[in-house]
Amino acid sequence: MVESITTTAAPAPSGSRAAVATLKNTFQMQNWVLASLFFAACLVFPLLPFVEGWMVFQGAFIIIYIMAAQGVSILTGYTGLVTVGHGAFLAIGAYTAALLMKYTGLSVIPGMIAGGLVSALFGLALGLVFLRLAGAFMAIGTLGFAFFIGAIVNNVPIFEGRTGISLPPNTVFGFEIDDFGFYYVALVTLALTTLFVHSLIRSGVGRAFKALRDSDKAAESSGVNRLLYRTLAFSISAFITGVAGALNGLIVNYISAEVYGDIWYSVDLLVAAVVGGSAMLFGPFLGGFFVAMVPFYLEELADFAFILKGVALIAVLVLAPAGVAEVVARPVRAWRQRKLLEAGESPELADAPGPPTGGGS
Amino acid sequence: MLGQLIVSGLAAGSLYALTAVAVVVVFRNTRTINLAQGDFAMMGAFLALIFIKSLGLSYLFALGLSVVCIMALGVLTERLVMRPIADSGWLTLFTATLGVYYILHGVSGWLWGRDTKAFPVTFDPTPIHFLGTVVSEGHLINMAWVTAIGVLLYSFFRYTKQGIAMRAVTDDPETAQLMGIPVRFIVMLTWAMAGFLGAFAGILAAPIIYVAPEMMDEVLIKGYVAAVFGGLYSIPGAILGAILIGVAENLAGGYLGAHFKTAIAFVMIVILLAFRPQGLIGIQKRREV
Repeated sequence: MVESITTTAAPAPSGSRAAVATLKNTFQMQNWVLASLFFAACLVFPLLPFVEGWMVFQGAFIIIYIMAAQGVSILTGYTGLVTVGHGAFLAIGAYTAALLMKYTGLSVIPGMIAGGLVSALFGLALGLVFLRLAGAFMAIGTLGFAFFIGAIVNNVPIFEGRTGISLPPNTVFGFEIDDFGFYYVALVTLALTTLFVHSLIRSGVGRAFKALRDSDKAAESSGVNRLLYRTLAFSISAFITGVAGALNGLIVNYISAEVYGDIWYSVDLLVAAVVGGSAMLFGPFLGGFFVAMVPFYLEELADFAFILKGVALIAVLVLAPAGVAEVVARPVRAWRQRKLLEAGESPELADAPGPPTGGGS
Repeated sequence: MLGQLIVSGLAAGSLYALTAVAVVVVFRNTRTINLAQGDFAMMGAFLALIFIKSLGLSYLFALGLSVVCIMALGVLTERLVMRPIADSGWLTLFTATLGVYYILHGVSGWLWGRDTKAFPVTFDPTPIHFLGTVVSEGHLINMAWVTAIGVLLYSFFRYTKQGIAMRAVTDDPETAQLMGIPVRFIVMLTWAMAGFLGAFAGILAAPIIYVAPEMMDEVLIKGYVAAVFGGLYSIPGAILGAILIGVAENLAGGYLGAHFKTAIAFVMIVILLAFRPQGLIGIQKRREV
């Protein structure tokens, strides 16, 4: 049956396999070129003549949001576990880095790594505790976790509650850096996490995540270790968001429970993942940008901004339920699929929902 | 001391119960975790305040009018926001209610300002001595209201045609549709019920806390936690959960210190979800979520 379709669609099967392979390589190259162009543009951005200091600062904030949303996308997008608690990992990363910097004088990069690691430990524990949860229960459980961490940073003396912890200026390899330098630290980190997520979701681990997402029973019966991969997804996700959290605290040299004791970070990060499209590599880029820029543009509108934010959110959900990234990538994907068919790819394969390859980075 | 803490806990728990029941009713009929439930309550409190302060209406009349308005708000939410995306996954539905949350927060802050307002106290503020404990009359009145609403809901689900139809939709929407139950109307009714419970929650809580856009945020989260005690399905389970949380947080606040008061509900939820993810009252038949 499959055989006959293949032969009718591709009358010359001898050369077609090579042609399909070449085409797939070309598409991959296009993705790489687009991603490199994007990062090159980000590298040049602070040097442009019309760019002012605050823009660079805001740019670093967007990068941090994107990174945090990448963490969410590992769980929510690729493993299918909706988390409304990633603000907690952001807080854990931020407080770890800040406390280490305050008491041991650690600089930005070790602080970032420590923040990620401690956050990953909490992620591991949470993954074990919530091993049997799914769907809405997971959402409420993670929300509870975020509240719990919020209550702790508000009340346990070492975190200095709403007074907050002020930090000395940031240093990298012994050099003091300003917002400008911080932007580049954040950008390099984002490039690394993006590369990491890219390779992760194409590896066996990523395939196991997606198998658990699509049907955990089917995945388990074909040998995917649920315990291992769920806790792994939690840890990796928490690690990335923890790194973002460390940067988020260090960039302003100040952290307080006023910011991290609330669940609004958690909700914002979920919105970033859902709006951008959490199962695509460049979804968090769009979502992080959305979440970081909306309050910025609408600041003077205050309460009216809330209304617009709500309307925009509902509009995106109605018009692009799988995220904005999916809508952007759809024509590209359709065009590529047509090319593949012309080159002799069997339609059976071409129609299968392939790995979520983005149009850009 | 113990008796006192338990009585205060019951008073707090009865307010959480209204929110928890609304969360359960909406979730089991529409798969939606309604983040806007707290804002229904907040809008209800604001409207009642306006009716009393600006229009000079009596408390009961203002309460009734506000409840009707918020029921309409619930129906409007269903009609304008939730129905167009009713077939989406639960995450989309959940995020859409977040949109409603933003809008209602924005509307209330825009119209009435962010500062907290006092709600006129209608009861005698001097505490009453009752079985060796001290209770505020407001708490007693609230508990009476909540009990009355509970009886009303029970009779609705037990004896009225709409209530039985609503339970049928909960059990199996497709079969219900085939049996000739107007599922769309029932879903609308579900949201109206969420508005009804929300308005009461807000108006009853207002004299005890205050009136502001974020007044119900914490109550809402505790309502979720309570709803999970009933497996997001069982109304008695949700009520039991709400009372447990109310009592537990007062006990923790009394014996361990005020810091622990807010954290205890979340310690409870984490333990509950780790060991009994299906809720305290085990539900055998639960829809896929």
